[in-house]
Amino acid sequence: MFAQPPIERSRLDLLQLLAVLGLMLLSIAFVYSAKADAEKAADLAWYHQLFFKQIIWFAIGLSAAAAVCLVDYHTLARWSFVAYWAAILILIAVLIPHIGSTHGGARRWIDLPGFQLQPSEFAKLAVILAMANYLSRPVDELSQPLNFWKALGLIFLPFMLIMKEPDLGSALVMVPAGLMMMLVAGTPKRYLVMLGSGVMLVGALFLVDVFFAPPGWWQVKLENYQRDRLLSYFHMNFARPGATLAEKERAAEDERQKSYQARQAMISVGSGGFMGKGWHRADQIARGFLPRGAAHTDFIFSVIAEEEGFIGSVIVLTLYAVVLFTGIRIAGQARDRLGKLLAVGVVTLIFGHVFINIGMNIRIMPVTGVPLPLLSYGGSSVLGSLLAIGLMQNVHIYRKGY
Amino acid sequence: MLVFDQLKKDDPQLRFLAISVLGGLLVLLVGLWWVQVVSTKHFQEKLESQSQRTVRIPAVRGRILDREGRPLAENHPSYNVVLYLDAMSQEYQNNYAAVSNQVRQVLNQQAAQKRKELGRDLTLQERRQYAMPLALRNQLSRQSRYEVTSNLVAGLGARLGVPLLLPEKEFEDHYEKSRALPLPLMTNLTPAQVAMFEEQSLHTPAMDLEVQSIRNYPIGPAAAHLVGYLTHDNASTDDEARKKYNYRLEDYAGVSGLEKLYDAELHGTAGSKSVLVNNFGYRQGETLWLPAEPGQDVVLTVDLDVQKAAHDALAGNTLGENARGAVVVMDVRNGDVLAMVSSPSFNPNYFIRSPTPEIRAQEMERWTNEVLQVQLNHAMQGEYAPGSVFKTVTGMAALELNAIDPDEEIYNAFGKPGPGFSIPGRARPMGDTAPVGYYDFDRAMALSCNYYFVTYCGWKPGVLGKAVSLGEALHLGERTGLGMRESVRFREEDPGRFPSPRDVKHYQKGDIANFSIGQSPITVTPLQVAVMISAIANGGKVLYPRLVSRINANEPGEGAQSFPEGRVRNNLGVSDRTLQLVRKAMKADVDYPDGSGRAAAVPGLTMAGKTGTAEVEKDNHKDKSAQITWFASFAPYETPRYAVIVMIVGGASGGKACAPVAKPVYEALLDREKHLAAKNGTLAEMHN
Repeated sequence: MFAQPPIERSRLDLLQLLAVLGLMLLSIAFVYSAKADAEKAADLAWYHQLFFKQIIWFAIGLSAAAAVCLVDYHTLARWSFVAYWAAILILIAVLIPHIGSTHGGARRWIDLPGFQLQPSEFAKLAVILAMANYLSRPVDELSQPLNFWKALGLIFLPFMLIMKEPDLGSALVMVPAGLMMMLVAGTPKRYLVMLGSGVMLVGALFLVDVFFAPPGWWQVKLENYQRDRLLSYFHMNFARPGATLAEKERAAEDERQKSYQARQAMISVGSGGFMGKGWHRADQIARGFLPRGAAHTDFIFSVIAEEEGFIGSVIVLTLYAVVLFTGIRIAGQARDRLGKLLAVGVVTLIFGHVFINIGMNIRIMPVTGVPLPLLSYGGSSVLGSLLAIGLMQNVHIYRKGY
Repeated sequence: MLVFDQLKKDDPQLRFLAISVLGGLLVLLVGLWWVQVVSTKHFQEKLESQSQRTVRIPAVRGRILDREGRPLAENHPSYNVVLYLDAMSQEYQNNYAAVSNQVRQVLNQQAAQKRKELGRDLTLQERRQYAMPLALRNQLSRQSRYEVTSNLVAGLGARLGVPLLLPEKEFEDHYEKSRALPLPLMTNLTPAQVAMFEEQSLHTPAMDLEVQSIRNYPIGPAAAHLVGYLTHDNASTDDEARKKYNYRLEDYAGVSGLEKLYDAELHGTAGSKSVLVNNFGYRQGETLWLPAEPGQDVVLTVDLDVQKAAHDALAGNTLGENARGAVVVMDVRNGDVLAMVSSPSFNPNYFIRSPTPEIRAQEMERWTNEVLQVQLNHAMQGEYAPGSVFKTVTGMAALELNAIDPDEEIYNAFGKPGPGFSIPGRARPMGDTAPVGYYDFDRAMALSCNYYFVTYCGWKPGVLGKAVSLGEALHLGERTGLGMRESVRFREEDPGRFPSPRDVKHYQKGDIANFSIGQSPITVTPLQVAVMISAIANGGKVLYPRLVSRINANEPGEGAQSFPEGRVRNNLGVSDRTLQLVRKAMKADVDYPDGSGRAAAVPGLTMAGKTGTAEVEKDNHKDKSAQITWFASFAPYETPRYAVIVMIVGGASGGKACAPVAKPVYEALLDREKHLAAKNGTLAEMHN
């Protein structure tokens, strides 16, 4: 008799998948909670309601992730430059008036039948794929300045294009992901220190310029709303020095309106308390203070935090922690540097989203249009997030190198 | 564990990543702990304060009732049509959409034309010129709101048959400041209008009838000074200031009279409700936190009919309704004030509901006229020389000291038409309204003979030292409470003036003469005279006048107060003989065919009275228009029950101006007795 063959261990990282599943269930429950009243009032059939659309997106996203897992990530990496340049092309296309569509002053979407594609969500993944592929070359080559600059260029190009849309948040989350990949890849420390201090210096100069440059000086071209968001985040007075009382009052009123979303989100979160008010009992939504258009997308966290309290917040953070640390484990167990870099890139990207999004709910981050991965409603965001998860699982599945 | 495994990893770069992620998540965790657990109260308060508007609800004011429970001040329902703005928001939005669409089309056309002119697409800058700026959008939405609302108001006016206009400023103010509260479209609907509103069922979700309780004074001017009036009150008590209401519904506070004196009791305790609002400030719901507690009823000793009769009588005096004067009616047995009237009067209702513009202008003129002194309650707030009314005191003093023989007839050689008798140290002789002839005490009182009271009672030489007679009169006056306020509760009262023993030490003959006939420096209020006459009538008891008999409790045993009747303040301390002699002399004043108080006589009622005419000198001349005329009386003579005091400034004389006013008052008092007797009869029958 043959010996019983050893039971084959699951090749998927189940713990991570469970956490992802948990986040998806939360997403469905709270997208429903945030929109149900408005949708009931509009008499929408259940299959037109957003929570159902979100389920559909999850299904599509999971299928796409599964498809990604079918192909060894080495094969994917070989196509990475195609993906990268395709992403760049779409990012350029978005900026062209008749292709890209504008909402609220930003040109970020491409209208497709039944769906608005937000290319930046996919571009981020393409950049990570391309970076991983580029940085997976032998460590020695990375100490050559040219390669360093090329790697920087890989981020810089899409960064500028996304900034141009403008979508400050999406552009900014790519930076730590790229830097972390460069660090893990073994780029010499001195480059990174230089780069890090350079980024900080530019950032500081940028803020000083935005806030303090007297009119007439050269100023970084920011859209007004970006400038306002930054100003309100740093609690800066809107009035220029030497303004009259009436002007100051007008400026203060302006500030109040500009920081409205952030303030209301924080009131939502804070008023939830420890236990929360119960599912579907958010006062801030019922009374319309939390902007209805953003409650289920960028501000989904404040809905959860208000309805489920600190306990809900901890659950969300725990689920993300599981996803992120399993991701780091996957990076550690990866077969080669390419796999490790991919996992590191995805982990950093997801972490960036989580930190910026939740941070803006408690005002440690300015309001930027960064969705919360897997929780926020939105096709592009859901697809992008699940593809990212798929990439990590791919690295996990093919870690053994059959 | 998953986390620590990653931290322990031998790979420094991955450890750095793991530490960064862990650090970031911890920052979020601590931040959330801070916001959601440590400062949750702060945010809950913020949530409430931005979505709750607290509204102060005034309490229904207590009534002021006469002794029979008939209202002198009550509350009427007032019907208002109000508009709930929250129910209008959809219509506002629709109208705004329509209006702004039109504007946008025009702008788009202009932009298209410009494009055609230039033959190219417009640049961003150029396109901005054709966008709708925020200011324009705000203006349009303001306009469309006002348009919708004013159309509604005009429609309402047409349905109710009255031209209605909604001032734009008023609407905008309400919209900006009190959006959560209903907007009053029309106030004080007549019953016919209420019926029309109900009949045509003009109720919509947005428009409704609201009942408001509003003050009403049924007999208006007849009790204006006594009851007082109200004013809009927006001041907060300290306790309320801490609660920081967002809105206060209209409330009132007493300004004068009993409305002011008992404001605390009448006012009740305001309640509060909170209105839940959405992000546009529109009302979403209401919660009543604390119902208002109605004020307590104040029950007076005043009798409505007597009060009305006294007012009508005073208003109908010879000088007309603008004469300054007062009537006080007192129950001599217990000091209950049955009526207190001051003239010229005003209508306290006008302070609540504006009259027509013409009347309003007229009333404003009267109200501020310095000569009329409409605001003054002459029954208590004005001090006047008592004139000959004071002869009752002088007479009592002389009689009590046995200084005079009431039956002795004194010859008055200086009476009418002579110029009067000379007084040492005084340039002009003192005139006398009594004719030349013989006078005993009764006749001297009845005809108010100055000569008798000055020379015989005041400074009859040889018979009595001046200081003694004067001293007794001083004591009497003091015991009567002259120069002092009558009641502890009633602060709106003038004490009058009465000389002290020290003042009179250096009195010369002229001063004594003036004192004897109640000229300067003595001044009294009609209420003080009422107390004095009551004391003479009731056998010497100087009573505290009583205006308020009790304050009713809303619930049994809570905050009820009652004020005892017949509280004795002092005693005149004179013998019964003296009192009888004075009463008899006062009776003669009305009884004698030539008695000065003859005009007050009522058939079937024996009355005793004393007239008075105090001259007022202005620039060394008699000022006829400023002289104080009196008629102080009590009745019935045998068993005195009522004192009626009439005072008019500028009357011809006490007998001519004041006595006729007393007559209908006595008639009203007799009617009241008949009425009461009949009522008691039926009650007695029922008991049997």
